[in-house]
Amino acid sequence: MSQHTSQSRRLFLKQLGIVGGGLIVGVPLTACATTPATDAASNATLQPNAFIHLSPHGDVNFYLPRSEMGQGTYTGLTTLIGEELDIDPASIRVHHATADSAFNNPEYDQQITGGSTSMKGSYLPLRQAAAEARALLLLAAAQQLGVPREQLRTDNGHVLHGEQKTPYAALVAVAAELETPKDVALKEPSAFKYIGQQRPRLDGRAKSTGSAEFGLDIDFAGLQRAVLVRCPVAGGKVKGVDDSAARSMTGVTHVVTIHNGVAIVAEHYYQAKLAAAKLVIDWQLPEKLSQFSSAEGQAQFAQALEAEQSHEAFTQGDGSKALSNANRVLRADYWAPYLAHATMEPMNCTVKIADGAMDVWVGSQSPGLAQGLAAFYSGISKDNIRIHSTFLGGGFGRRTASDYVGEAVAIAKASGVPVQLIWSREDDTRHDLYRPAAMARFAIGLTDDGHIDSWQVRRTGPNIMAYTVDEALDAMAPGFLPNGMVDWMSKAGHSLYDGWSLDHSSVEGLYEDYDASHKAVEHVTVDPGLPCGFWRSVGHSFSGFFKESMMDEVAAATAQDPVAFRLQHLSGNPRLANALKVAVEKAGWPNAASGERRLGVAAHNSFASSVAQVAEVSLENGAIRVHKVTCVVDCGRVVNPDIVKAQMESGIIFGLSAALFGEITLKEGAVQQSNFHDYPLLRMPQTPTIDVHIIDSNEPPTGVGEPGTPPIAAAVANALFALTGQRLRSLPLKLAS
Amino acid sequence: MISFHLNGQRVDADVPPDMPLLWVVRDHFKLKGSKFGCGMGLCGACSMLVDGQSTRTCILPVAAVANRAVTTIEGLADAEQLTTLQQAWIAHSVPQCGYCQSGQLISATALLNSNPAPSDSDIDTAMQGNLCRCGTYPRIKQAIKDAAGQTTKASTTAAQSAAVQTFDPRHAEAKA
Ligand code: FES
Ligand code: FES
Repeated sequence: MSQHTSQSRRLFLKQLGIVGGGLIVGVPLTACATTPATDAASNATLQPNAFIHLSPHGDVNFYLPRSEMGQGTYTGLTTLIGEELDIDPASIRVHHATADSAFNNPEYDQQITGGSTSMKGSYLPLRQAAAEARALLLLAAAQQLGVPREQLRTDNGHVLHGEQKTPYAALVAVAAELETPKDVALKEPSAFKYIGQQRPRLDGRAKSTGSAEFGLDIDFAGLQRAVLVRCPVAGGKVKGVDDSAARSMTGVTHVVTIHNGVAIVAEHYYQAKLAAAKLVIDWQLPEKLSQFSSAEGQAQFAQALEAEQSHEAFTQGDGSKALSNANRVLRADYWAPYLAHATMEPMNCTVKIADGAMDVWVGSQSPGLAQGLAAFYSGISKDNIRIHSTFLGGGFGRRTASDYVGEAVAIAKASGVPVQLIWSREDDTRHDLYRPAAMARFAIGLTDDGHIDSWQVRRTGPNIMAYTVDEALDAMAPGFLPNGMVDWMSKAGHSLYDGWSLDHSSVEGLYEDYDASHKAVEHVTVDPGLPCGFWRSVGHSFSGFFKESMMDEVAAATAQDPVAFRLQHLSGNPRLANALKVAVEKAGWPNAASGERRLGVAAHNSFASSVAQVAEVSLENGAIRVHKVTCVVDCGRVVNPDIVKAQMESGIIFGLSAALFGEITLKEGAVQQSNFHDYPLLRMPQTPTIDVHIIDSNEPPTGVGEPGTPPIAAAVANALFALTGQRLRSLPLKLAS
Repeated sequence: MISFHLNGQRVDADVPPDMPLLWVVRDHFKLKGSKFGCGMGLCGACSMLVDGQSTRTCILPVAAVANRAVTTIEGLADAEQLTTLQQAWIAHSVPQCGYCQSGQLISATALLNSNPAPSDSDIDTAMQGNLCRCGTYPRIKQAIKDAAGQTTKASTTAAQSAAVQTFDPRHAEAKA
């Protein structure tokens, strides 16, 4: 046993499900196979940290700490490792990390993939981890070859001494006996071989051959499928159930009632689904939400615009008082509806409980919280719960929550058999944690020469954090607290949260970008009780539309060019100003679109990145047609330009689905949409040409997964204004006929 | 007992005749590349070639493919030799989350089989049944055009007309 197997690493390895003397490297944690034992003595391995494991056989393994849900961590973070370890990233074996605090996101101190932080938060720590591993290999080589360390260099997985090449694998045994050097210097950017290069995705082959493993692909002998019938109104409880018809259906083995519904367990999914339709359930409806219908309910959001009490979110200068000095005040109200995530892979989770321990297979953006919630619903301690992470068939924030993990665990526990809980598309659409609906009222005070003097905005709507707190308390409350107590705390947490504290994501993006001497941002909570969650770009998903449409309104009302008007108010924000300038230049603003087409522009900062977009729009048989989007992003140093571009394309298309179609509505608390016919997503024929440009930068990397989404709805709406004179202040965009 | 050809092999499935083909392939034959996305024929994640046509299998009872030829994503490549389309997919880094991509490749394969040099609007039409929440459409289109370009070039040399190794029932029979 090498000195490297410290106590904490031992714990860590235990969490990985790897016990005993030696670590078999290269065992994909996604596999459902158990880990074979190995002879430690003959197989010294090098594990300088949680992320990197080298075997004497030549495997270089990287335990990917951030989930891969399409945004490119699998490639991007492996590139960081390859760079500093000096080995082609394509030769590294990548494994999804299990739940362990060693894999926490430095930005949150939790193992969360979200907030567009994966590259931003990993850029230095992962490079440092790899640089230390490389330094260790160089020390080992010096010792093994009997030459001074200074005469050695590395190249693609080898230590070089003159003409002599020693593969890393041959140094593992010696390296494993040495202390890992700390404070190793990182490469200078001028020496980068892989960072900054356009290279194909490392998961491209697996995802083009059907071999990439998602949560839904987990399978093993004895695994049964479960379908859960939840209350149509979120938060409802089972009062009574008649399951006689369901039980007699083919393939059904168990019918169990859990905390939020009744589950059918069957041999096959389609059998469970057929049987689920036969359940007769008497629901205890949640009082508040079951009285809410979107048709009339929107008025509650509007009333709150007039409320006397509000949270002050941000004040600058004289705040709202300054409005009275304005030469002219422009006011407008905006609306954005609830939205579902609609990841292409519906929620699912696979659970096996045996001998007081539990295995959970799940594609999750927060494996640590998933583990905590699994403990909460099973009574099994976290130490005995192994989380096996998989690829995620889309995340977009949906998979930061672990509601489906709690359900699967509860069903497995109640039925006593290993189960894979599969949500139907209908379940997925109707039981999401939705992007909160939001209304905003702007009052923009102008000087007599048409400059913004005061910027006042009030947002009304639900707060995401109130729902996040609920789940986090369940997942994180210490084990000695009885569940009832945790329940009470989370209820109290919810109302405490809503009453006292401001959720910044409710107002983010509404006020930061443009110069104004006086600013006042207020929030009034209106929450019908529909669960809300993080949806790609979070608060920016509506504030980008609100703010950028309002800027366009003010420019139009004062007869100023929308680009020039923005630039005049971006002196405090040179990065966004530059992105905007480049975008309009690339798009050929303002003359490029002629005939029946018009251009619209929008620019927005989010997740520390700046994005400007120009949309070219026309009407085809009265329907909105987006022909082209020019997008410029400044996200600091780029690790893989192709992935940045792909994320801009992705964010724009995601935002266009919302801009053109996206709307979740409620009738007496129940979500009315169910599948892709009534919650449509953009399809190929509706997709514009997308032209992405990246600003060259030596600044540290910032987010790309989300910042492409916020500006697009406004860019399209602004183009529609230019085209039709109609100012559309509600999403989805609908022209008056 | 229902018999059909799966990726070139004759198979027998002792499953209920109304079981959707998707679940027969995934859970009985353990080929997990074809995905479940909507269960209503709306998203294309479950697409397989049935006698060369891109078909939504989440709503197709297995009985409907008795004695027909079914090709899944796993059956496109000839062992390690990926099809031109698959290679183009990788070269263009088409997949993001990847969940829809098996279905996308099946539909693209069916398209190039019947139309080796599709126009943009041919591609739009052929691919409109396949949703991608990650928004990989621009890259899918580009990859199809590249693959088609290579195929068209290749097919000018007579012997190489099958440069895109797409589904052909006769070819499948021969492999079996
Ligand atoms: S799963 Fe078959 S079309 Fe969506
Ligand atoms: S790649 Fe994610 S749904 Fe298409």
